[in-house]
This record gives sequence, C-alpha cells and structure tokens, in this order.
Amino acid sequence: MMRREHFFVLVTLCLCVLGVIAVYSVDPLRDEGFGPKSFFGRQILWNAVGWALFLLFRFSDFQWLFRRSWLWYLLSVLSLGAVLVFGESDETGARRWLFSRSVQPSEFAKLALLFFLSSYLSTNRDELDFWSLLVKSAFFVAVPTLLVFLQPDLGTALVLGVLWFGALFLGGWHRRKLGLLLGLVAGLSPLSWFIMKDYQRKRILAFLDPWQDPLGSGYNVVQSQIAIGSGGFLGQGWLSGKQTQLRFLPARYTDFIFAAFCEQFGFVGGMVLLTLFILFFWIVLEAAQRVGNLEERFFASLFGILFLFQVGINVGMNLGIAPVTGIPLPFVSYGGSSLLVHLAGAGMIARLIWRTEQEERERWI
Amino acid sequence: MWNERMEERIRQRVAAALWIGVALFVVLSVRLWYLAVLWGEWFRERSERNRVRVVFLETLRGNIYDRRGVCLAEDVPRFRLVFLVGSSDEELVMKRVREVLGRDIAFSLRERAPGELVLLEDLSLEDVVKIEENSERLPGVLVEAYPARKYRDGEVAASLLGYVGKVSPEELKALGKMGYRNEDRIGKSGVESFYESFLRGEEGYRRVEVDALGRVVQVLDFRSPRFRYSLQLTLDWELQRACYEALGRRNGVVLVGDPATGEILAFVSKPSFDPNLFSRGLSLKEWLDLLEQKSNPLLARPTQALYPPGSLFKILIALAALEEQVVTSRESFFCPGYLEYGNRKYFCWKRGGHGRVTFEEAIAESCNVVFYTLGLRLGPERIARYARMFGFGQDAHLDLSGVKTGFFPTPEWKRETLKEAWYPGDTMNLSIGQGYLLVTPLEMYLLLCAVANRGKVYDPHVLWRVLDEDGRVVKEVKPSLRRTIALRSQTWDTVIRGMEKVVTQGTGFNCRGLPVRLAAKTGTAQNPHGKEHSWFGGFFPSDRPKFVFLVLVEHGGDGSGEATLVARKVIEWILQNRGA
Ligand SMILES: [Zn+2]
Repeated sequence: MMRREHFFVLVTLCLCVLGVIAVYSVDPLRDEGFGPKSFFGRQILWNAVGWALFLLFRFSDFQWLFRRSWLWYLLSVLSLGAVLVFGESDETGARRWLFSRSVQPSEFAKLALLFFLSSYLSTNRDELDFWSLLVKSAFFVAVPTLLVFLQPDLGTALVLGVLWFGALFLGGWHRRKLGLLLGLVAGLSPLSWFIMKDYQRKRILAFLDPWQDPLGSGYNVVQSQIAIGSGGFLGQGWLSGKQTQLRFLPARYTDFIFAAFCEQFGFVGGMVLLTLFILFFWIVLEAAQRVGNLEERFFASLFGILFLFQVGINVGMNLGIAPVTGIPLPFVSYGGSSLLVHLAGAGMIARLIWRTEQEERERWI
Repeated sequence: MWNERMEERIRQRVAAALWIGVALFVVLSVRLWYLAVLWGEWFRERSERNRVRVVFLETLRGNIYDRRGVCLAEDVPRFRLVFLVGSSDEELVMKRVREVLGRDIAFSLRERAPGELVLLEDLSLEDVVKIEENSERLPGVLVEAYPARKYRDGEVAASLLGYVGKVSPEELKALGKMGYRNEDRIGKSGVESFYESFLRGEEGYRRVEVDALGRVVQVLDFRSPRFRYSLQLTLDWELQRACYEALGRRNGVVLVGDPATGEILAFVSKPSFDPNLFSRGLSLKEWLDLLEQKSNPLLARPTQALYPPGSLFKILIALAALEEQVVTSRESFFCPGYLEYGNRKYFCWKRGGHGRVTFEEAIAESCNVVFYTLGLRLGPERIARYARMFGFGQDAHLDLSGVKTGFFPTPEWKRETLKEAWYPGDTMNLSIGQGYLLVTPLEMYLLLCAVANRGKVYDPHVLWRVLDEDGRVVKEVKPSLRRTIALRSQTWDTVIRGMEKVVTQGTGFNCRGLPVRLAAKTGTAQNPHGKEHSWFGGFFPSDRPKFVFLVLVEHGGDGSGEATLVARKVIEWILQNRGA
C-alpha cells in the first residue's frame, strides 16, 4: 500500500502541474516560447523554488520556526507596514508589493500568523477557552489584518480573520462563545458597508445580481460563469476556450484561473481539481489528528483551514456563489509568493506525516 | 485548564473541520454541475454572443432599364474607410491616414455599428490604392465597398425614377419589422419608392470573431449582398431625352405614351434635380437649397402639380355637348368677341371676335363664346357627370408614388364649402377650363388618351416587366382597361375632326405641315402668379393613334406659343426615329 506521505506528495504535485498547464493556457506570451518573461515560464521557476523549499522543510526539523514565532510575527507586521509606506501599487491602485513587485508580504503574513497562532495558543493552553486569551489573540491578529486591509486587500484580510476564528474553533473554545462571536460579526457586518470603498460595494452588489450590469460591475462574475458554462461536460479542449483565448475572462491567470481551466476541461476537469483539493485538505487534517504535539496539531489543522477557505472562496467566486475578493487559488493561480508559501507549508505537513508514520511504526515494534 | 476533556474536544473540532470541508466540496461540485452541465448550452450561446459580431452589409438594389434595355439606374461600388475601434490607437491611425493620403482630412467618425467608425466616405480609387499599399501601417483600418445609386444623366428622368436615401427614423419605425436597418437605403420617390419591394435586395453580412477588446480575430463568414429583381420600364430613354431637350430652358411637363396599352414612353418634369446628389449624401445646405428653390425641382409635375387646364378642357365640353345633342356638328355660331349674360360681358380670348364659326371651327379656333354657350346649355350637373365619366377629380392612377388628384368643382361643393350659390358665370368659367377647376397634367393626358382610343382608357403605367437576377422575366404588366366611355361614334369623329383642324387651320399653327395626321388642342391657363401656362396636347396619327402627347410650359404664354413649339420638336423626333 502506498504510504500516506507519498500520496500527499503526489496530490500536491498534481495540483502544481495542473496549475502550470492552466497558466500556460492563458499565457498571452506563450507563443514566444519558454522564457523568463512568459507567465508559465516564471510559474515553472517559482515551482522549482517552491519544491526546493518543500524538500528543505521535509528533511529538516522545523521546530525552530515555532520557537521564533514572535520574530516571524514582528517581521510580517513590519513588512506589511513597509508595504503601506514604500510599497508599489498594481493596476487597481492597491499597494501590495515590495522589491519591484516580486514579493507580496501579505502571503508570507499568512504563514507567519499560522506559526504565531499555533505557538501562542499551545503555550497558553491552560488559558484556552478564557475570554482574556481570546481578546489578546484578537489583538495580535488584528494588527496585521488591519495593515492588509489598508492596502487595501480585502481578500487576504478576510483570510487572516478567518485564520483567527479557525484557531478559536480548533482551540476548543466553547460553542456558545463561538456562536456569540459569529453573531457579533454577522450583526456588525452591515455596518462595514459604510466603511467600504465604492468599488467594494459594487462588487457586493454585483455578487448579488451580476446580470444586472453584465458589462460593468458584474462583468467578472458573468464572464466567469459563461466560461465555466460554455465548457460543458468535457470542455472545449486545451488552449481552445473562446472566453479564455479571446480574453473575455478577466484575471485569467490569478483569480479566475479555475474558470479558464473549466472552459478547457469542462465539468470533468473541474471535478478533478476539486477532488485534488479535498484530498489535500483531508490528508492535512488527518495528519493533524495523528500528530501528538499540540503545537503541531494546531499548525497542521490551521494550514488545512487556511487552504480550504482560500479554495472555497476562490472557486466559489468563480462559480458565482461567493463575492469577488482577490484570493488566489492555492498551487494553481499564477504568482510566486502564494506558491512558495503553500509549498513550504506542504513540505512541513509532509514531514509531520512522515514523522507520525515513523512513530507509529516504532510503537508497533 | 488543560485536561483530557479539552484535548478530546480539540480532536472533535478537527474532525468537524474535515466534514465542513467535505460539505463545501459537495456544494461546489453541485454548483459546477449546475453551470457546466445543466446550463452549459445556455452559457455557450452567451459566449457566442460575446465573441461574434455581425456587421450587416447594405443591400444591393435592382437596376432600372428602359424599354430598350438602356440602364437608367444601377448600384455602383463606392469605397469607405472603416476603423475597428480598439484594434489600435485611434489618434495615431488618423494621423497616419492623413500622411498616407497626403492631405488634411476632416474625419466623419460616424459610428456605423458598435465598434466600427466610418472615417471617410466616398474614397477615390486613387486613395483606395494608397490605403491598400500602406495597410500594414494602418492596423484596424479597412477599405469597405458599399453600393451607391447611379443614375444615367440624372436630371433627365429624375421625377420619374425618384431617388434613394438613408431610411429616416419615421420610416424605420414603420418598416423595422420588414428588416430595414439604420443605415439602409430606401426609395424616396418615383419608381424607386413605388417599386421599393422589388428593388430592395437582400442584405449581406460579415460575421467576425472579436476578442474582449473588440479586436477582430478572424472573419468567420461572409455573404455578399444581392439584388433580387430588376425593373424594365415602358419608358423610351431616347425619347425621354429628346423631350427633355425639347423643353430647353422652359419649365414644364412633357408626357408621351401609347394610348392602346397605357404605356408611358416619356415623362419629363422641369426644373429637375440630380438624384445622384442624394446617393452620395446631401449636405444639409444642399438639401435646404433644393427645398427652398421657388421652382420646386423635387415636385414631379406630371402627377403632383395642379394647374387649371384652360382651353384643353374644351375637348370634354365638346364631347358632352355633342353626346347630349345640345349641339350638332353643323350648327354655326356668331362670336362678336364676347357673350353678354345677365348684365356682364364674358369675353372671347380674341377681342375682335371670331365672327361666324361652325362647331368644328370653334374647336379649332378655341372660341370661348361658343363654349360659354355650350356650357350654359349643358349646365354644371351634366358637365360634372361627364367629367366623372372621364375620371376627373377621381383617383388618378399611375405606378409612381405621390400621385395627386385634381379638383373638379360642383354646385354642391360650392354651396357646402364656400357657402355660395353656383352662378352661371361659374359654369361659363368651367366651360373654358378656368375658375375653380384644377387638374394634374396626367389627368389631361388621360382625357387625350380617351379621345384617341375612342372611349377605351387603359391604365397608364411605367413598369413593363420585372426581371430576376438572371434576367428572366418574372412578371409582365399587361394592358389593363380602366374604363370604357361609351359615346356615339359621330361624337368622337366630330371632336377628332375639330382637333385636326386645330393644327391645320387653328391655334396649333406651329405644328402645321408635319407629315402625319395630327389631332391636338391648345390651351392657355390663366395664372394669378404670372404669365399664363401654355398647354398643347393631342395624338397622331389621328386615324389610328399610336402616340398621345401632352406638353405644358409654365408661364409659356398662350397655347399657340411655347407649348406648340416644344410639341413640334417632340413629334418631329418621333416621326424621324420611331416612325408613326
Ligand atoms: Zn370667339
């Protein structure tokens, strides 16, 4: 029987390969061949770096990362602050980048917060389910979240917020407290309407009824659904989706790469991707269950939730059942920072799986 | 407090998260199924609409030929410069077009269809070549051929053929269902308008695939526009020309036709206009100029202008009087130059009087006194009855659009409208074709046809046959008898003899000496706005008429003047070139 770790690596590899295939299919420069300028070329390059990180964390102990989690936390807050001050803006006017648009600190903030939360909660395990810890952790999460929100990057801010809520959920907080929290968020969210920027409001309205203004604010959602719909059951074939090739679909290599993929490979292709995603998630959470160490359990399950939430929001928005927020599809969307972060995380998970298998075998003997 | 229970709870939470993930997976899968499989077809159609742009190409109109096959109106290709928006920088392209053509150009920038701007219309061939040679420097610029109507010697038959123009918003509202589009051409008058349904062809289209920026990726398919039918008219182009030239600088009307079939051979209206101007699109100023000209060149005078018929109307009075036997052909009259009725004097046009004249001489000399007398003998009711028999004041029919009907006054009309009684003076005025009576030249032409054909009136028509694309005849207009006016044959004989005498010894002396038996009548229509209009109409050979003609010269003075001179030229041309 195949070992769990190998299966996990295979699933991750499949996701990355499909990602490269998808990026290639929407690459406007692909006719110029494989080069540092082409999108798929750079995606392959990032994959190489990412897999190097994967191996690094698979074959080295990463306990030191937990021990210095405060450092990662402070570094990420500092870099997010730097983005606001020195950062470079993209087409939409949002400041998200450092070092001539090569590094996106908000992606690394996800990982830093992951370590910080798992280490912080497990060292304070005696206070789990205490209001005081909830308030303190809320404060620590709120700082980077706010910085990201100011970029503005609503999607990533949402991801960080969900990460915190996931930590509380996994941290065993009592149902009533979580319910109260959720109720509070639900009750206050209408107020956020007033602090939202105009384009953000339009996105919400477009999500509620995209066909109202299919050429304006609803354009993304409509074009994405058209792409997925016209893919049909088997798809229109690689490189031949009209929506994608004629560039009706916006943000084809990042936010709407799922739609581009489905137009080419149809319902079947979409299901393959979704299945790979759920397998990945399943293996990660199963690893979290088996691991003995509380810190590592928090880490693995939070990584799983981070992954699941991003997939859910991204695919959901491609399918028109979640609002448009700029969250990339892990492993598949074009973009170095996201890929590195997720491959590094996957490498750590692989090590955890390998180690628990090792321990189980020893116990057996 | 950390304890076993807490640890167990965390385990449960991880398991719960797992099931949340599975639930999410199911939701996303179902939605994917819904979009891609259940509604796939619908979305595919959306995608199609996204990327395929249909550009409709103007229809071709059928040609119009004369009876001998001379082409009078046809579509010729013109060229326009179209710019596909989004395919490159507009300003840059316009700058380059200026460079390539080597002159400064005011671009029209009319948006013809979504994403298509017309930069220039009516390019010269020279410019087309220049553009094609530099096509690489002009991305998104396209030379497109489009049809424009061309008329042979536009002014000669403008009022008959009519002209075409862009369909107006009002027409579009009425005809939208029939497939007319914003940019379509439509017949605006004359044959072009009346036979629009035959002349209008099928539109073509060009389906192009565009990307999200509206750039043309490829042309998917193309159907060139076609015409369906051509028309062959009864018109004789050379004769039409001769008539037009015979009028010279004068304004007026010449009609020539065949009384035995109803065919119209010539249909001249002057002043005229050049319908070719409309094909290239008139500027507002040119259009206003045309409308404001006092002489109104757009008016098709033979069918749309109203005149008093003057003495030409005496033909009807003579027929009625003979038929009603209020006079015999042998009766003689005395004309002292006036007729005293009541306490007023009604004058003859010849102030010195005609002296003693027979009935036929009265026709030849067009003696008013005699016709006053006959009119009084007949009375207005009987005159009206005969006028109706000959079709006056009733729908005059001709296959051209905008045909008007004259006005025939009756005592009832005067009572009801003017609130006045009908006086014998009105009857006398009516008897010499003056007063309230108004006719179109076509109505007078039909009266002449009736006499020439001894009561049988055929529907006048300008269409002879309809040809399909390959020139096969699909429809032929057969002579159709409109009415038969049953009068005694002596009545016809007498009036025709009188009309022959008009030429041989009467007011039509300008046409004397032609090598054909000619029956005709002069007329002078008093005109409150200036010099009298001069009429002359008749037929030849008078024993077996083959040609009926009618000439009207506006402000031409009395009937023995201008109109007879024009008619003489026309008749001479016919005798020489068509035989009779
Ligand atoms: Zn007299």
